Amino acid sequence: MTGRKGKGSTASSTPSGSKATRRRFLGAAAAGGVSAWSGLTIFSRSAHAAGRMRVLCWPGYEEKPVIEEFEQKNDCKVEFKTYIGGEQMLQFYAQSPKGTFDAIISDAEYVQKLTAQKAIDPLKASDFPNLADYHPKYRDFPPLRAPDNKIWAVPTRFSFYGLSYNTKYMSEEEAKTWNSLFLPKYKGKVALFDWYLPNMSNASLAVKPNNQTPYDISDADLAKVKEWLFKLRPQIGVFSEQNQGLVNALINEDAWVTPTGDMEITLIGAGHKNFASTVPDEGSIRWSEAAAVAADSKNKELALKWVEYMSGARVQSELVYTKGFKARAPNMKVTEFWNEEQTKLMSYVPDPKHPGQMLVETLIDKSVPRGLPVKQPDKAWIAIYNEFKTSKG
Amino acid sequence: MVAADVPQSIPTGVPEAAATAGLNSLKAVGIGVPLLYSLTFFAAPLVFLVVLGFWLVEDFQVVPALSLDNYLDIAEHMFAKSNYALAIAQSLWVALTTAFFAVLVCYPMVLAIVYVAPRSRHRLLLMLAVAPFWSSYVLRLFSWQILLANKGIVNSGLAWAGFENLQFKLLYTQIATRIGLIHYLAPILIVVLYVTVANIDRHLIQAARDLGATRWQAFRRVILPMSRTGLLVSTSFAAIVSFGDVLSGALLGGGAGASVLGSVPLFSNMIMSEYASSTNLPRTAALAMILVLVMVLMLAGGAALAERTKVDAG
Repeated sequence: MTGRKGKGSTASSTPSGSKATRRRFLGAAAAGGVSAWSGLTIFSRSAHAAGRMRVLCWPGYEEKPVIEEFEQKNDCKVEFKTYIGGEQMLQFYAQSPKGTFDAIISDAEYVQKLTAQKAIDPLKASDFPNLADYHPKYRDFPPLRAPDNKIWAVPTRFSFYGLSYNTKYMSEEEAKTWNSLFLPKYKGKVALFDWYLPNMSNASLAVKPNNQTPYDISDADLAKVKEWLFKLRPQIGVFSEQNQGLVNALINEDAWVTPTGDMEITLIGAGHKNFASTVPDEGSIRWSEAAAVAADSKNKELALKWVEYMSGARVQSELVYTKGFKARAPNMKVTEFWNEEQTKLMSYVPDPKHPGQMLVETLIDKSVPRGLPVKQPDKAWIAIYNEFKTSKG
Repeated sequence: MVAADVPQSIPTGVPEAAATAGLNSLKAVGIGVPLLYSLTFFAAPLVFLVVLGFWLVEDFQVVPALSLDNYLDIAEHMFAKSNYALAIAQSLWVALTTAFFAVLVCYPMVLAIVYVAPRSRHRLLLMLAVAPFWSSYVLRLFSWQILLANKGIVNSGLAWAGFENLQFKLLYTQIATRIGLIHYLAPILIVVLYVTVANIDRHLIQAARDLGATRWQAFRRVILPMSRTGLLVSTSFAAIVSFGDVLSGALLGGGAGASVLGSVPLFSNMIMSEYASSTNLPRTAALAMILVLVMVLMLAGGAALAERTKVDAG
């Protein structure tokens, strides 16, 4: 379970309506500047030659073990522009000339925003035979459903925002509930991934267990979320915007637990065996990524092949084990490409408490796909999160 | 005589005019280059930041506008909700105390270099003092993490020496933030202070000693007053840099490290965190303008104090 961002739109991201051309021009000019600031790769037109494609994606997809086979098979070169956060992905897409990207990796909840911008093409599920090997919840994943029995994108990887903890200090029993974080021994020992969305959504699940729509809550429930968060504030010792900060805090025992999840994959992999993670009984948030074909791609055939390639078990077995992220694969046949140790580490082993299913499937059942605030503007959620941070711990 | 004077005046006059023109060109270049540099790398980005603060984000695109929305929204969150004022107070507290301790550490080092070390060793000692500046700031902060962590070198060393009960909670506090900042600032402050202290006329110190002043009195009545401008410039410089720094607060301060004001994030860290959450560049620019404004006020305060010191000394 890795801390990562796929942000909600800001309050200012309102529909613009018709805009004067000059404003658009200035906007585009500004966007150019902004893009340069943000490190947007400037592609040359010649890069659109046959056998080349460009992908807008989260880190990890560009790593050699993931893309090498596709490039060799198709005798092509894939260029990547990586982003951190769904909001940044939308900005990079909106601020780039049409046709810049052939394929897009999007967080599932941002697919609706891409479709609203007519940025991606619907796909025929039958074009992706690998879907048959997917976990049922990802074979037909509601956030990706398109009209006419089509899909907007194909899931590529996912993971959880559960509890990662040091087993020296937190028992398995304690990790079963979010409320254990209030225990006096954890004062100043909780590390948070510094982003409002997963933290507030997990708080939403803590106050309303197993709610399948923790983002779609009333103002009264949001007030309860705020209260829960404020109660948690004295327990927080670290806010980190990077996973590495959380990993360091856990290794050095400056923090004993983090509601970020998946840290144990990195930690155990690095020889720190005294870490574990789980999804508390109240549930946790699950993030999911999916591959889509850009509507204005000039190389749709290759883009489609790439999406199909990304649905394969072999590539997903590498994708979820990259330097960028540790995650889980929706294609359940990934285990064929892992050794026993990896399979166990990634939780693709039988769950003794739920005969007939794997541990990762139990975690999927207990978690809820990440979404965006529904009844309130995300600005209101960010303000609560800021208030929580500035409230004296 | 007159006839003889005329041919003399002609050849001498021409080189003078040429020399004056050359000097004027040199002056123009001397003024123009730094001016162009300042306009390109300071004024223009600053103006862009100011203008950007009035723009908006629509459909995930930055749209030019002349709107006060960002500032009004920030004003609404200044003392309530996001509580930016509290974060600004935390930043001011950390910045001012960092500046104080940084100067407190660096000034004696400079005095030692100037007055204790042989003059022939000054350059070497200055180089050694500045050496940390050649390493990466981020790398230095990560090194401090290793030192200050709960199971870090400091606490492990104490435990190894038999002081198991003497363990310090340093990392993820504003003390750690200050340590990182002081390490970052020290080389610069040492150079600034060295220039000030090395230029104090030693005859004045000798005169004080000849008139019966003790070493302490000579320091207090001569060296310290004559270092005042340098001390104030260093302090305001350190405070300004500390106020705007993000990395030390994030990596050593843990995002919201504890201080006497409580576990409150620094304003710079809040700006970063908000940008990461919303990717709203115009609003971030407006927040950054507040940061710049406070920095300008600090600079003005420092300059006014330095000026007053000069007048007092005069």
